[in-house]
Amino acid sequence: MKILIAIKQAIALDEDFEIRADGRDIEEDFFLPDLNEWDEYSLEEAMLIKERHADTPVEVVCVTIAPDSADEALRKCLAKGADRAIRVWDESMEGSDPVAIARALAAVAKKEAPDLFFAGVQSSDHAHGATGIAVAGFLGWAHSAVVARLDYTPGAKEVALKRELEGGLSQELRLPCPAVLTIQLGINKPRYASLRGMKLAAAKPIETLAPGDIGLATNDCGESGSLARVRRMYVPEKQRAQILAGDVAAQAKALAAIIREATGS
Amino acid sequence: MARDPKYDILFTPVQIGPKTLRNRFYQVPHCIGAGSDKPGFQAAHRSIKAEGGWAGINTEYCSIHPESDDTHRLSARIWDKGDVHNLRAMTDHIHQFGALAGVEMWYGGAHAPCMESRATPRGPSQYASEFETLTYCREMDLSDIAMVQQYYVDAALRSRDAGFDIVYVYGAHSYLPLQFLSPYYNKRTDGYGGSFKNRARFWIETLEKVRAAVGNDCAIATRFAVDTLYGPGSVEVEEDGMRFVELADPLVDLWDVDVGDIAEWGEDAGPSRFYLQGHQVPWTRYIKQVAKKPVLGVGRYTDPEKMTEIVTKGYADIIGAARPSIADPFLPKKVEEGRVDDIRVCIGCNVCISRWEIGGPPMICTQNATAGEEYRRGWHPERFPKKGSEDSVLIVGAGPSGSECARVLMERGYTVHLYDTAEKIGGHLNSVVTLPGLGEWGYHRDYRETQIGKLVKKNKQSQVALGQKPMTAEAALTYGAEKIVIATGSSWNTDGTNCLTHDPIPGADASQPDQLTPEQVFSGKKPIGKRVVILNADTYFMAPSLAEKLASEGHEVTIVSGVHLANYMHFTLEYPNMMRRLHELHVEELGDHFCSKIEKGRLEIYNIWGDGSRRTYRGPGVFPRDANKTHRWLEFDSLILVTGRHSDDSLHRELNARQSEWEANGVKAVYLIGDAEAPRLIADATFTGHRVAREIEEANAQFPKAYKREVAIWGNPHSPGVNPEIEYES
Ligand SMILES: Cc1cc2nc3c(=O)[nH]c(=O)nc-3n(C[C@H](O)[C@H](O)[C@H](O)COP(=O)(O)O)c2cc1C
Ligand code: SF4
Repeated sequence: MKILIAIKQAIALDEDFEIRADGRDIEEDFFLPDLNEWDEYSLEEAMLIKERHADTPVEVVCVTIAPDSADEALRKCLAKGADRAIRVWDESMEGSDPVAIARALAAVAKKEAPDLFFAGVQSSDHAHGATGIAVAGFLGWAHSAVVARLDYTPGAKEVALKRELEGGLSQELRLPCPAVLTIQLGINKPRYASLRGMKLAAAKPIETLAPGDIGLATNDCGESGSLARVRRMYVPEKQRAQILAGDVAAQAKALAAIIREATGS
Repeated sequence: MARDPKYDILFTPVQIGPKTLRNRFYQVPHCIGAGSDKPGFQAAHRSIKAEGGWAGINTEYCSIHPESDDTHRLSARIWDKGDVHNLRAMTDHIHQFGALAGVEMWYGGAHAPCMESRATPRGPSQYASEFETLTYCREMDLSDIAMVQQYYVDAALRSRDAGFDIVYVYGAHSYLPLQFLSPYYNKRTDGYGGSFKNRARFWIETLEKVRAAVGNDCAIATRFAVDTLYGPGSVEVEEDGMRFVELADPLVDLWDVDVGDIAEWGEDAGPSRFYLQGHQVPWTRYIKQVAKKPVLGVGRYTDPEKMTEIVTKGYADIIGAARPSIADPFLPKKVEEGRVDDIRVCIGCNVCISRWEIGGPPMICTQNATAGEEYRRGWHPERFPKKGSEDSVLIVGAGPSGSECARVLMERGYTVHLYDTAEKIGGHLNSVVTLPGLGEWGYHRDYRETQIGKLVKKNKQSQVALGQKPMTAEAALTYGAEKIVIATGSSWNTDGTNCLTHDPIPGADASQPDQLTPEQVFSGKKPIGKRVVILNADTYFMAPSLAEKLASEGHEVTIVSGVHLANYMHFTLEYPNMMRRLHELHVEELGDHFCSKIEKGRLEIYNIWGDGSRRTYRGPGVFPRDANKTHRWLEFDSLILVTGRHSDDSLHRELNARQSEWEANGVKAVYLIGDAEAPRLIADATFTGHRVAREIEEANAQFPKAYKREVAIWGNPHSPGVNPEIEYES
């Protein structure tokens, strides 16, 4: 039984940062990289399945589509108990959008043939919330987004889960395996790695693959394999905010005056 | 980062007579336990602040003559050439960092008991000190006045020779010049008593004489309690306070003003329990209206925002600080470098002061474990030796000692895992800060939380694991750390074990619904009844704080205390207002009483002196005193046991029992720090964590390295020309 987890080295920023000269990203010097917060929860969920069912061997495999700077995030997963780590990259993958990333992840999933595929609901930096479900699209597997509770016995044909809907509603359902699930924060309490875990992880290999190794062509990757690209990143201009005082009639009057002024009518 | 321009005003220089203060940060006189006899301690503690950016740095009060001898407390002295030699170390080291050195010339009158010199103090009139109640002074006649004024002049000349830039005539805290000014002490009817002018005469003349002697070389400062807080009958700011400043202004280059007296000097060095930052402003703000010379004020100024406000609003020109400079000697530099969030903010606990009040052991600080350790242990507050090995360290417990140990080890470059069951760094402090008035004590936790937060970002191998399951010996052994530090804290006894009987009290049992430990009060899970009895055998803050908390919440509280309730709070200057508070809240105290047994809803108490004053040998098995017949029952709805604490050290014991397994698991050493080693002050718990982190490479870091001692050496005279041999008058 195998669980494949997509993980990402996400980027946080300090208060001060600068945009890159080409205007398409933040200057790398200002990056504060760490494992995407959601991925801590999907890894923990996999580890719980592994530990709760000690009689059935469960292999937990982490995968990321990223250059070697992401090894740190993979090692963090290994330190917490993941069995293997895979990283797919070459230069052709530069500029990949969530769809191109998902295509690569799906290719790895085909190769690894897991029973469950986990991804975070979203990443803490770009927050597209698209990658996990796009993987399901490529694979054609059953899927569910924003999973807040999971019940799975290794080897079972089905997985039971609860997912969050809009407006505080939730839905309980069962899905056939293999399935793609995007995992929500708070589903569990992620563990910390012990020093022993970290030391062992430092010695474990990270399997590195190129797109060709998983059957991807060059135009499947990077900008040519993407549906979206970043044209320009900029700090939005400071806007004005104003609280309108008085009763509704007075507020409406004040609002009308603002609109007139702004539109010059 | 550069400093925020809004603080620019704090970095503008100020001219004081012939000298220039480079900025507005100024360490007012404060004791440290060094005096003139520990010159290395004195030089290092003061010059570290010069390095940290302070513009002016003073000695503690510095006696001008053996007639003003404060022993059993510890002052500096500038009595002779030996003192000049020793204090020169301080001024030289301060000057190396471009700051000015000041000396606070002190004559105490009856407040100085002269226990070493056995001299007779002199004063404006004869009175018994309200501070040192067995000491009386002799009333000065006119020749005495001239003689004592000459003491000031001679001491000023020695001060100049010792390299001091600022020379004080010290008249705050009810010392001699103020004794002349205040009708509370001065009952004279001659030219030095009666009218304001006459009462001011001693001080004015002394300033004139000192100025004439050293005014060209040194700035003349005077420290003045502009309001003694006694109301009419002593010094009030809008009366004699302003009047004196106006009169003496031409004679001083710097006004250092505060409020209060000596017997209750917690009104000046206000503990955070009762006073906020800037608490003296309502009085001291009047001084700028009459002074043409620069004015400095104090009030536990830790926040550059507040300091800027004080200067821009015209309440003072210079920010004086004692405690903030102890907690963070680098405060000015951190403001300068735009690192305000790195300031180690004084928590206002006054543990620094407690050491002076006790009689002058080296000062300690709850926030700054390096305070007082600069010279003898070579601890710099901001610099740490690089790690001496690749060992990684697991610290179990993120309370005051564990978090300090983690911070220092991380600063040194070690990989550290800090582990706790709680969701927050801080340990028992997180409960303590919920007690009335103790919120600011949380700065101790906040500082470590912020620093550790920054340090773990620098070393991805380091980690803070909070909200964890209790650490077992097995998990600790196999954690993968070469070194394990146990900082699991202590708990209040649940069975009444105490410092008087060293045994449990029959019937004491905090698992009963009507008995609680302080921790159970904090957790709020057990209901507390109307009539509360606090059974106390602890001499610090827990019993009075719980009494205040529960009485404010509407309970009827009685404290049964077998020890002097809140005794240590005399030393932290919290005692007077704590007692006022308990009085306001109608808390009853049954002092000198302890408890022999407890039953449901009642405890049996007895007078601890009820066992007869005569002691007789009556043979084995018989008490040498009479049977105590003072026992009686006292009823309660809830009983709170503040009888004593014990270390939570079971993890350490288990690890020690499994020492044979250490090597196989790669464990090289296990240390025990903080309350888990022995319950103690937060300052001392913090110290042990800091010390182990500094000394972790030592062969057995559980035990402290020897430190550099400063002691008199046999055969060497203190002053030149003195024969050091034993010699008798014949
Ligand atoms: C440990 C300690 C010792 C002190 N000793 C002296 C002293 O020797 N002379 C003096 O004038 N004031 C002394 N003070 C009072 C301080 O100078 C200052 O007026 C008071 O602490 C208020 O300032 P702060 O709020 O910045 O601490 C002492 C204060 C502390 C904390
Ligand atoms: S001991 Fe307490 S009051 Fe004194 S400086 Fe340190 S933190 Fe402040």
